[in-house]
Amino acid sequence: MKFFSIAIKDLKELVRDRKGLFFIMLFPVFFMLVFGFAFGGMGESNTPHKLAIVNYDKPVTLPTTGESVNFGNNLTQLLEDAKYEDSDVHLFNVTKMSENEADELLKSRDIDAALIIPDNFSESVLALINHTIMTTTNPLAASESTPPDATSTLIIRGDTGFMNFGVSQSILVGVLAQYQDEIVIHTQNAVRGTPGTQPTVFLNSKVEPIEGTQNFTTFDFIAPGMIVFAILLLATAVAASLTREVETGTLARLKLSKMRGFDLLFGGLIPWSLVVVVQVIILLVVAVAIGFHWQGGINSLLWSLLVGVIGGIASIALGMIIAAFVQNDRQAVNLGTLITVPMSFLVGAFYPLPDVEILGVPFNAFLPWTHTVKALTSLLTYGGGWNEIAYPVVVSVILTVILFAIGVVVFSKNRLKAEN
Amino acid sequence: MADYIIETQDITREFDGFKAVDGLSLQIKKGEVFGFLGPNGAGKTTSINMMVGLLKPTSGQVIIDGQDMEKFDKAAIGVCPQEIVLWDNLTCQECFKLMGDMYEVPKDVLKQRIGKLLEDLFLTDKANVLVRNLSGGMKRRLNLALAVVHQPEIVLLDEPSEGLDPQSRRVLWEYIISLRDDEGKTVILTTHLMDEADRLSDRVAIIDHGKLLKLDTPENLKKEIGGGDIVEITLTDALMNGKVIGKLEEMENVLSVLEVEGIINLRALNAVGKLPKIMDGIEEVGARMADLSVRQNTLEDVFIDLTGTRLRE
Repeated sequence: MKFFSIAIKDLKELVRDRKGLFFIMLFPVFFMLVFGFAFGGMGESNTPHKLAIVNYDKPVTLPTTGESVNFGNNLTQLLEDAKYEDSDVHLFNVTKMSENEADELLKSRDIDAALIIPDNFSESVLALINHTIMTTTNPLAASESTPPDATSTLIIRGDTGFMNFGVSQSILVGVLAQYQDEIVIHTQNAVRGTPGTQPTVFLNSKVEPIEGTQNFTTFDFIAPGMIVFAILLLATAVAASLTREVETGTLARLKLSKMRGFDLLFGGLIPWSLVVVVQVIILLVVAVAIGFHWQGGINSLLWSLLVGVIGGIASIALGMIIAAFVQNDRQAVNLGTLITVPMSFLVGAFYPLPDVEILGVPFNAFLPWTHTVKALTSLLTYGGGWNEIAYPVVVSVILTVILFAIGVVVFSKNRLKAEN
Repeated sequence: MADYIIETQDITREFDGFKAVDGLSLQIKKGEVFGFLGPNGAGKTTSINMMVGLLKPTSGQVIIDGQDMEKFDKAAIGVCPQEIVLWDNLTCQECFKLMGDMYEVPKDVLKQRIGKLLEDLFLTDKANVLVRNLSGGMKRRLNLALAVVHQPEIVLLDEPSEGLDPQSRRVLWEYIISLRDDEGKTVILTTHLMDEADRLSDRVAIIDHGKLLKLDTPENLKKEIGGGDIVEITLTDALMNGKVIGKLEEMENVLSVLEVEGIINLRALNAVGKLPKIMDGIEEVGARMADLSVRQNTLEDVFIDLTGTRLRE
């Protein structure tokens, strides 16, 4: 049980280094406060996102009425009219412009995002309507027929390093998905004879924020990611702490004993895990205290604590890997920051990212924090329960165990063997 | 059972082309205090780091109790590093307990052992004091005690007296002697202090620039360079040293005359009786004396005889 003695030693050292512990605990408070004040609105009403629309769409004629409709204009109108729920504030401040103008404004960050509607957008919508009519009136024939091949791609363009773009694109993706769903539903209703349905009417879809997010501020969307970012940075503290053991020579003393790499690292994992528990609790409490809106009640927070702690343990393992490659705590802090900050982007802590593929492999899917972000978002933003988070939680646990095993191997190899 | 507890076979250690240890071959007997004497940077610490397995030799082999270093039981060696290597936020007692657990010392044995070590090294009343609140001397003593908490057969002490006050040094020296005499341990000691090597070591290896210059008992080493006392003469003008040395070398019964760092070092039998003649000789060549001292032959003089220089600090 040598790991237990190491755990006791590390715990005592952590607790007795009051200044160090204070800063470790203070960091998440400070961090959450800054982001809360910056993105939480702090009692102000929601503000519209600045959106440029570049509409290349060409009108099509509706087969049912013979009316010429430009669905691109329809979508633009819909985005202009969309408002926050129970509020007079518009979701978007829409400006129509050319693609070049939009690019210029994106570069200067005078707008948050640009939506480029392609010239075959109406054609695609029409194909969707026709396919929906066919599947509604004659499902058998529809199943034998091939789906319409008239796909168009709406481009949401923006500066991926700009926080406002991240938020705007998330909302736009949701709105566009809902737009398509509404077309299908209204077409089906129209075909089934729902009174008063006209093409122009069914396109007047009401934009609804994703359920439960009506009163959400930007901070509410980014808070789960912020929790992950904060716990990811813990890797730096762990790496610095372990490297200090190298610098002071105490590791050489331990190395001469019968202690193994597993004893040292598993022993270290235990007190740092307690730090993670406290840190995640602090992060959640501070977030709630400054007006974080979350869903799912207290259960969501409790599940989030579990998910956050798993992510935190993964960070500790990452810190151990970093400690295997640095010579002093200054290097540990530098390398730790160099790894954790880009990694927080990779795992989607700031805004959702598509899978980042390296040589055809979705790299970020192998990072436990990707699943931590997904699970926390699922819990806190959408009010999901265990069923929704089971997969990301199990995957992140497996990846954390793998990361820890890697930490034990590389630390033992680089730090506990005789120097070459 | 091997006659020698540690044997190094032509070990060499290079750092970026620089040979810190160059073909060191020596054998250390069981139950002896073996001193490594040499100036700072001579390769003493590198040598013992290779002996305990912290550092791999670039070439050569270390044999411990007849076995290859890799296969030897780690618990048989205790190392007291040159620097103070302690956990500042643990108490003395907690440090002992940690290291005892790391060496798998049974709890009851460990308890007794901690009590004895605290007593032997005058730390009993500091048992529950945090290391960061101990004095430098106390930390040094604790540093040593942690190396022997598991009762190793071989105790390596790297410059143990470094930075110690005379009182703590006396405690330490007595403890080292008791390790050999009362507990039968083999003690390997590195030092650049003549006095320490002379008084504690059964045998001394003189090492400089990574090479073994001489290995014998302190008495034999001193005998080897001959008897006599040492007269150290400082002239007002060091440029006259050459002329004065030439003159003194002509005197009868002068065993050697050397210039060491600007000071004339003369070894002679009955040196006190020769002082008038020495002073006359200095005056004859027109030099003036700034300082003169007479002392007994020490290990440092052995080192000077071997290298032509003093031990560097």
